[in-house]
Amino acid sequence: MNFKESPFMYGLAAMVIVFVLAQSIFFLVKAWKQGKKLGISAQTMRGTVTNSILFSIAPAISVVATVIVLANALGIILPWIRLSVIGNITYETTAAEAALNVFGSSIAEPVQDPKQFSSIMWVMTIGCIFPLILLPFFLKKIQKKIGHAAQTNAKLADVISAAAFIGLIAAFIARAIAGVGTKENPTDGAGVLSVLTLIFAILLMIVLTKLCDRFKLKWLENFTMPFSMLGAMGMAILLTQWLPAAWLIEWRY
Amino acid sequence: MRTYFDRVHTWGRISCVTTICVLFLVPVLFCIHYNAWPPLDGVLKGLAAVVPLYWATAVAEVISYAPLLGAGGSYLSFVTGNIANLKLPCAISAMDSAKVRPNTEEGEVVTTISIAASSLTTTVIIALGVLLFRPILPKLTAEGSVFAPAFQQIIPALFGAIGASYFIKQPKLSIVPILAGVLVMIFAPTMQIGVLIVITIVVSIGSAYFFYKKNWV
Repeated sequence: MNFKESPFMYGLAAMVIVFVLAQSIFFLVKAWKQGKKLGISAQTMRGTVTNSILFSIAPAISVVATVIVLANALGIILPWIRLSVIGNITYETTAAEAALNVFGSSIAEPVQDPKQFSSIMWVMTIGCIFPLILLPFFLKKIQKKIGHAAQTNAKLADVISAAAFIGLIAAFIARAIAGVGTKENPTDGAGVLSVLTLIFAILLMIVLTKLCDRFKLKWLENFTMPFSMLGAMGMAILLTQWLPAAWLIEWRY
Repeated sequence: MRTYFDRVHTWGRISCVTTICVLFLVPVLFCIHYNAWPPLDGVLKGLAAVVPLYWATAVAEVISYAPLLGAGGSYLSFVTGNIANLKLPCAISAMDSAKVRPNTEEGEVVTTISIAASSLTTTVIIALGVLLFRPILPKLTAEGSVFAPAFQQIIPALFGAIGASYFIKQPKLSIVPILAGVLVMIFAPTMQIGVLIVITIVVSIGSAYFFYKKNWV
């Protein structure tokens, strides 16, 4: 009997998934009602939903890929549960690896012992749970401070919140420009391909935004960001097909 | 009179506590069902390796993401995870196209709707992916697959698209944090992205405040 993918494990996954879905639906309905009260048009809110769904598809598929990678060692159910709740690609992989190292094993090989498996479950769960303990105590305070600052000085608040977004984006852009990959993998560090993908995504976004403004394409406004992202990913495929040797040059590994 | 924000915090607190319970139910039920309680020292050693970094990152994440995600958005995002690569860009994009500002009630509503829709999509896609595409996916993302480069370049594609609108609107604010990030990467190439994000956000806010005081923005 394979304990990692038993019907019992599927039952555990179903419990977690149903819980997460119910919670999201609850907040969605409450926010929608409040939006109506505030006079936000149904069109805008529907647009937000469509935009967010489209936006999430590609990253979600990459999460599925991680689940599959971890499935080799842990079976498919535990990575599925872990990446559906709080899950984050780097955390979960590191946590599983750390727990397995204690037993002199690694995620490169399948776990056979139920006790090792339950140790991994506990390490992953306790490791990731801290934000949920912090939020109930501190979120309201953090938000109140920000809200108060926003009211007293709107211009500065706008500049600071734009700066916070830019700061976050800058970290990932910096890694695409100068991040370090591994020697074994030819495409995980910064190089010709990552920089071209980055530039192409930026250009595509600028062009699509201009098109929307020029021709008043309301419907396209919700799609500019996902289209730019998928377009740039498509270009990465074309480039590697067209001139593999040149495009796979990485300056840092 | 309790405001919408007050109610969101009440629902959020209840949802955090229930999530913690559901999360712990998974290992507890497994151990009971299979009578496989783990050796305590094994769990402790494993935790010692990950908890210091994870819990410190958690503090930094709550402080830096919460103001951007809004109240309802934060409670939802921290439950479903994948914040930096998914929920936050999604919320930024939604506020952008709905033309609302963060830290307003309209912004709060739009980010919550956006993150809820994103969480639903992600959860459903992961479930479908696991159940349906299990035999195919390793081939898609395997090295040497035609589609592999697309998945490997997902980060530059994603952040190029999100960044573009900010670079156009706020070119002055954008240069300093990007340069800072690149410099850090040059001198500390192995730095974790979680740490780098904290650095670039601090530099970005610091320089923006300086520009503001000098009346450059």
